[in-house]
Amino acid sequence: MPVVTLSSDSDPLSREIAVRAATALGYDYVDREILKAVAERHGVPEADLHKTLEESPSPFGISSKNHARYLAYIEEATLAVLLKDNVVCRGLAAHLYVRGISHVLKIRILADPKKLAGEISSGRTPSFEKVSALLKRRERVRRRWSLDAYRVDETDPSVYDMVISLARIDPDEAVKTIVETTGYRKFKPMTYSLKCMKDKALAGRVRAALMDRFPDVRVQADGSSVVVQTKALEREKQKRTEIIKKLAGDIPEVAAVEVQILPDIFRKAAESFR
Amino acid sequence: MERQIRLLLLDDEPIVGKRLVPALAKIGVETESFTDPEAALQQIARKDFDIVVTDFRMDKMDGVEVLRRVLQKSPRTKVIIITGYATLEIARQALAIGAFDFIAKPFKPNDLRNIVAKAARALGFKVKDKPADSSSAHGDSKMEFSDPPDASGR
Repeated sequence: MPVVTLSSDSDPLSREIAVRAATALGYDYVDREILKAVAERHGVPEADLHKTLEESPSPFGISSKNHARYLAYIEEATLAVLLKDNVVCRGLAAHLYVRGISHVLKIRILADPKKLAGEISSGRTPSFEKVSALLKRRERVRRRWSLDAYRVDETDPSVYDMVISLARIDPDEAVKTIVETTGYRKFKPMTYSLKCMKDKALAGRVRAALMDRFPDVRVQADGSSVVVQTKALEREKQKRTEIIKKLAGDIPEVAAVEVQILPDIFRKAAESFR
Repeated sequence: MERQIRLLLLDDEPIVGKRLVPALAKIGVETESFTDPEAALQQIARKDFDIVVTDFRMDKMDGVEVLRRVLQKSPRTKVIIITGYATLEIARQALAIGAFDFIAKPFKPNDLRNIVAKAARALGFKVKDKPADSSSAHGDSKMEFSDPPDASGR
């Protein structure tokens, strides 16, 4: 059965819809509760993982290096859950890194603006202009976050297979529609799409294993073979290749590792000025 | 009652048939292999097949057209698309039209075996793994197919 990812401009709302859809489908439900286990596994603060999913890197917040590292840890854990199938996933930005998998049904829930205004004003009654400004700012922040992290604008409707506006459609109808859509042929898992998911999950595991030492690493997997791309100076190539092969090779599902070292032109230029 | 799965393989590259026909025979599936889509469709018009495995991109006809014509003649037949040009869009298109499964080349014969077993089960066949005999070089187990209840008139 297809995997369902839910994204929304309202956290409580997407949770309600996601849990109800999972119950109706008999699926598992996964959200940021898994971050506790991710934090324990990698020895990082859980609060930082939550922050990573909310804020772009900044000098006063999470550094760029840690932001990328934490995202890799979150992706690794999420992909492992999605691999098991029959799951509704929310709040882990999965819709941004499982694109290209045909059996993932990506849904965006748009809150009723009046209810959303109530949510963000926390019971106060600010002016319409103030609420509109706050909503626009929130959207800008999310757009910037998703573009920084994945070069995808998560507020763009074309990212999703379905967009449901709760200003027009009741939550009951929304859940019914989601359940019905999971039965569409187009979202049926196929051997090809299951392999794509498996490859992504393996690439995620390898990347998470390498991120501590090689924050710029890119990984692609095909079956049990992985290709790792990173940058290095000429003199570092051999040592770096050996380390990457060892670390990636330690992962049981990996049978072959190809390392592609690209020239680090910035460091080379920096060194030439010394 | 046992009967063999009737499978038709269509791929305009002869090497594909040469590799897959013996691999499928090892697991007890009799396969008719074609490189020409028109000849394959003529055979499909003459005879009922349980499963059709077809390449997606062929010079004379694409797999979508083959898929449509197979399902028009026999909606029961499970069509499996194989292709070296797999993309999300093609996979979804094939599924939307009615393909049973979609697999990217290169794939291992065992991958196709698993899909054939899945298709057989979907057709109502009971599929049992029989232990490999000594003639099987790779230890592939044969599959035994019991007739589905609604196939008795065929």
